[in-house]
Amino acid sequence: MAPNQNMNTKFRAALRNELPLWIREGLVSEETASNLSTTYQLGNLKEESSRLLSAVIFTIGGLLLGGGVISFVAANWDDISTPVKLTILFSALLGFHAVGYWLWRSTSWRRLGHALIFCGCLVFGANIGLVAQIFNIRGDWYGAFGAWAIGSLAVAWAIRSWIIGVLVLFTSFLWFIGFQDDHHQRAALLYPFAIAVALIPLAWIIRSRVLYAGTWLGIVIAASVIAGNHGSANQALLAMAAGGLLMWMLGQLHRAAAWRKEFSNVAAGLGLSTLAATAYIWSFHELWTNPKLRLMQSLLPLLFLALSIAATLLLFRKERQTQSWLIIGVLAAGLLLAGASLVNREIPFTIVTNLAAMILAAVLIGISLIDEQRAFFWLGSLYLVLLILSRFLEYETSLLIKSAAFLGCGVAVILAGVSYEKYLRRKIPSVADNKDKEPVYE
Amino acid sequence: MSERASFIAFVAAIVVQVLILVGVPARKAITLATGKSAVLKVQPVDPYSILSGYYVTLSFEISQVRTFPDAPEFSDGESCYAVIERGEDGIWKPVSLEHELPENLPENRAAVLGRVNYGRIEYGIEQFFIPETKRDAVADDLRANRDNARVEIRIDGGGHAALERLRIEDRVYE
Repeated sequence: MAPNQNMNTKFRAALRNELPLWIREGLVSEETASNLSTTYQLGNLKEESSRLLSAVIFTIGGLLLGGGVISFVAANWDDISTPVKLTILFSALLGFHAVGYWLWRSTSWRRLGHALIFCGCLVFGANIGLVAQIFNIRGDWYGAFGAWAIGSLAVAWAIRSWIIGVLVLFTSFLWFIGFQDDHHQRAALLYPFAIAVALIPLAWIIRSRVLYAGTWLGIVIAASVIAGNHGSANQALLAMAAGGLLMWMLGQLHRAAAWRKEFSNVAAGLGLSTLAATAYIWSFHELWTNPKLRLMQSLLPLLFLALSIAATLLLFRKERQTQSWLIIGVLAAGLLLAGASLVNREIPFTIVTNLAAMILAAVLIGISLIDEQRAFFWLGSLYLVLLILSRFLEYETSLLIKSAAFLGCGVAVILAGVSYEKYLRRKIPSVADNKDKEPVYE
Repeated sequence: MSERASFIAFVAAIVVQVLILVGVPARKAITLATGKSAVLKVQPVDPYSILSGYYVTLSFEISQVRTFPDAPEFSDGESCYAVIERGEDGIWKPVSLEHELPENLPENRAAVLGRVNYGRIEYGIEQFFIPETKRDAVADDLRANRDNARVEIRIDGGGHAALERLRIEDRVYE
């Protein structure tokens, strides 16, 4: 496969539908059509769509089976002796895993096997709770989630499973929330590193976008939970801003350096969304708090910032020129937001956060200009309007001024939309009407 | 990965899960099998919060830091060892609260490992699982005979405690 080849399912499905017409109209020869079909693996499309459906059906079926076993045991719990209870719990666990593995190794029932092994991991979690109950063990509630995460991680790696990886992410995150809240703030600092080591290589190997983006999001949220401890809210702002910036830069790096290009859109999109949400939330002046920065809680955000700057430098060596100002824009917005966490006066803080938000709106519109995508233009415009209207509703102004602001924003958005459409028509006449143009950012 | 390597990796992963499931009750089982027996008096229970889900919530004399007269300072989340002594009525009474596990305790004393949490000490024996069918009976019994409830526990050499049974007057709940 060529490095820039678009293997998006939507695009390939459209291509498959168009090819017969192209052949009839003499636009392409039979041979070229056949080459296109081979290059874009159009023959696999049907199988790919049924694969997702069967995976969903098998997983739901497996979940119901697992639920049935657990409910059966629970219904007769009081009448069953301890050895019988334990036999049932272990048999259910080993049964799901053994049958699941046997099917997973076969070529035709691989997805059913995968779903059964996933259910085995859910049964494993339920068993931890039931075993604790049988032996009257009431430890800290989060301990069970920690044990569940470790046991599931082993299976996720053994069969290279993205969905069990996601289960590990959820259960370990619940463990982390309980653990850090229980007087373990220092030790909890290791959690983001632990999930990075445990899950990112797995996501990389199996090329799972969901697991890759989910793990990064988990790392950034965990860092902001750690940073926000002891009521130092502006450290949480620092962590979210630095984390969002890092995710966006990583996404760009994936694309520019062609390292696992499929991770590019999801990482960049998640990073930009994190930055935009952070900027919007903190643009309200009431959210300013006197900066209280503690080194321990700032360690992760500072590491994120250092990595983002390293990624930016790498990007500038690889990037084409049109993208440079986007990179500068996102970097500026990220650094402004991170810097806002140090501002010890309310008004300058609010100005800085609003400025960062406006830069992000400009970046969104900028992406729409570079990549000729309407969705980003509208996202950027709506974000800007939301920002302006929020300010008008936030501050006490007369109704007349508010009405003028609403009207002004409405007219401005319509005019901007018209100019954008004109811009698209002028730049590439065919693009303006081409609704199926494949987006670079999804 | 070859088929053989994949099989070995999967079996190893399942062994990890089984070991975790065996490990969850292991300490408790060892403590119950080898620990020293002690009887603690259950403190009068708040009649409105006896039940928490499927568990009966218990409190003891040694559950409060202030019960121990000369207790050193403990920060929240810190481990502590409560030294208890067998009284003439067979019920074990608080003696002292220590930072380290005391050594060479006489036969009539034992140290229980706990964790300080906002002035209370938790030993992991505060909640007792009751089957659904017996829940109301146990809760009513506890309310009616608040002063005559005891728990029998086992304490191992490291101070870990495990709940063996709940006794209300001459009725035993296991």
